[in-house]
Amino acid sequence: MNNIALGRYLPMNSLVNQMDPRAKISILFILMIAIFIPAGFWGYVPIVAFILLALYLSKLSLSFAMRSLKPMMLMMVFLLVINVLVMHTGTLLISWGWFKVYSDALVQTAYIVIRLTLMIILCTILTATTKPLDLTLGIEKLLKPFEKIGLPAHVIAMMISIALRFIPTLIDETNRIMNAQASRGVDMQNGTFKEKISAVLSLIVPLFVSAFDRADQLANAMEARGYDPSRPRTRYKTLKMTSIDYIGLALAFLVLAIDIAIAWL
Amino acid sequence: MEAIALDHLSFSYDGENPVLKNLSLTIPKGSYTAIVGHNGSGKSTLAKLIIGLLEPGAGQIKVLGQTLSDENLSQVRDHVGIVFQNPDNQFIGSTVADDIAFGLENHCVPTEDMQAMIEESAAKVGMSAYLDAEPTNLSGGQKQRVAIAGILAMAPDIIIFDESTSMLDPQGKASVNAQIRKLNQEKNITILSITHDMEEASQAEQVVVLDQGEVAAVGRPEDVFMNEELMSRLRLELPFALKAAKAFQKAGLNVSPVLSTEALVEELCPSK
Repeated sequence: MNNIALGRYLPMNSLVNQMDPRAKISILFILMIAIFIPAGFWGYVPIVAFILLALYLSKLSLSFAMRSLKPMMLMMVFLLVINVLVMHTGTLLISWGWFKVYSDALVQTAYIVIRLTLMIILCTILTATTKPLDLTLGIEKLLKPFEKIGLPAHVIAMMISIALRFIPTLIDETNRIMNAQASRGVDMQNGTFKEKISAVLSLIVPLFVSAFDRADQLANAMEARGYDPSRPRTRYKTLKMTSIDYIGLALAFLVLAIDIAIAWL
Repeated sequence: MEAIALDHLSFSYDGENPVLKNLSLTIPKGSYTAIVGHNGSGKSTLAKLIIGLLEPGAGQIKVLGQTLSDENLSQVRDHVGIVFQNPDNQFIGSTVADDIAFGLENHCVPTEDMQAMIEESAAKVGMSAYLDAEPTNLSGGQKQRVAIAGILAMAPDIIIFDESTSMLDPQGKASVNAQIRKLNQEKNITILSITHDMEEASQAEQVVVLDQGEVAAVGRPEDVFMNEELMSRLRLELPFALKAAKAFQKAGLNVSPVLSTEALVEELCPSK
């Protein structure tokens, strides 16, 4: 569990850590749009520059950001294989019997790989510098305008924060059930595929039963403490945008503007 | 005035097997009442009925003079807090401060006032040093104390403890029980404690024994626990001091039956 870089919060006292989660989510969103603007390879220069600046200011190492890419490696290789097999435009680079590699396949793969890499690094910076709960609060505040058209922003935020709150509890529970089943002779590691499936079932069924039981008790506790999703609530935690947040947003818009200029001017 | 008055209350989950049968009971304001009884005697169901999580099949529930109904449920809940059994499943916030704030948020307390209220109620349960702690780093007893703090922040008149100490280690149990007595004596909060722990029940002012959805006995703990016929019929365990005192009597010693360990020590070796 410890080597997963994507989605892990690192408590550091950096400039990016102190930023308003709303600003960080908005910047991520703006840069995502910039990444998908077809501005050619030059279009990625301002984005990469922004990311390097963000990495520097958030005191994250480049290797930490790279580690978050590891789980995507297989997918990237898979993309290359698919592109090589189906794309038959551009100049022919290699011809080896029926196996032919065209330049467009490589160029297309390069684009996708660059886009994925940039997006994953951006998400890693966001999650590494923002507490899950602040992230939830940021999402809630950003979705607030959509409440008018019936989007239950605070209900969504409540669900996310409860899910986050119960992850460690359910991991403990999983370990407990695994130990309990192991003591009854269930073998999770060895055996045929069929045996493994039934071993996993012996874990999943009690886990679900207990999760539903927890949910029921939690709902009772929330109701007893006056929670009613249809009524307005005040919030304990509040967010405040500072000059760093506005500078960050301005820079993100600048990157987007440059990319638009490169693509269409 | 009674804090809680139950009038001919009946309840059944499935419509066939009654859990509570024609139960009438009054709990005086400012009192400390313990409800004991075996599993399935209807203890926890009673707590859920009083807090309005379940609706009675027949009969009335009056809380602080108001008859419980759909209309006044949220007003009544402003005055009644409940601490459940499982410390993990009632910890809603991701930190201690967030959890205490949860009830305040629901009651639309202005954000500016929250910090002071959170700090005050955390101090009352001795959790001031843990405001930023996450639930995974707290013991069961600490989590239950946070639950109490969350309720205290709402300044309730009545707090129900639904087997709140049954999942705690002896240390956690002692700290939560001490907290309960303190709230009753110092803040004059009406306490209704549903418990399996006879030691705790013997500390209460009033003990209610439930058996198969009916009140088997009500009275002061000394009267209820001394009722040998009742205790043996319901197979309820006696508080340790009383059990020991009876064993001494059987062995021929002149020891009068007492409920607390201190009183037993005094009986065995009088200080004066």
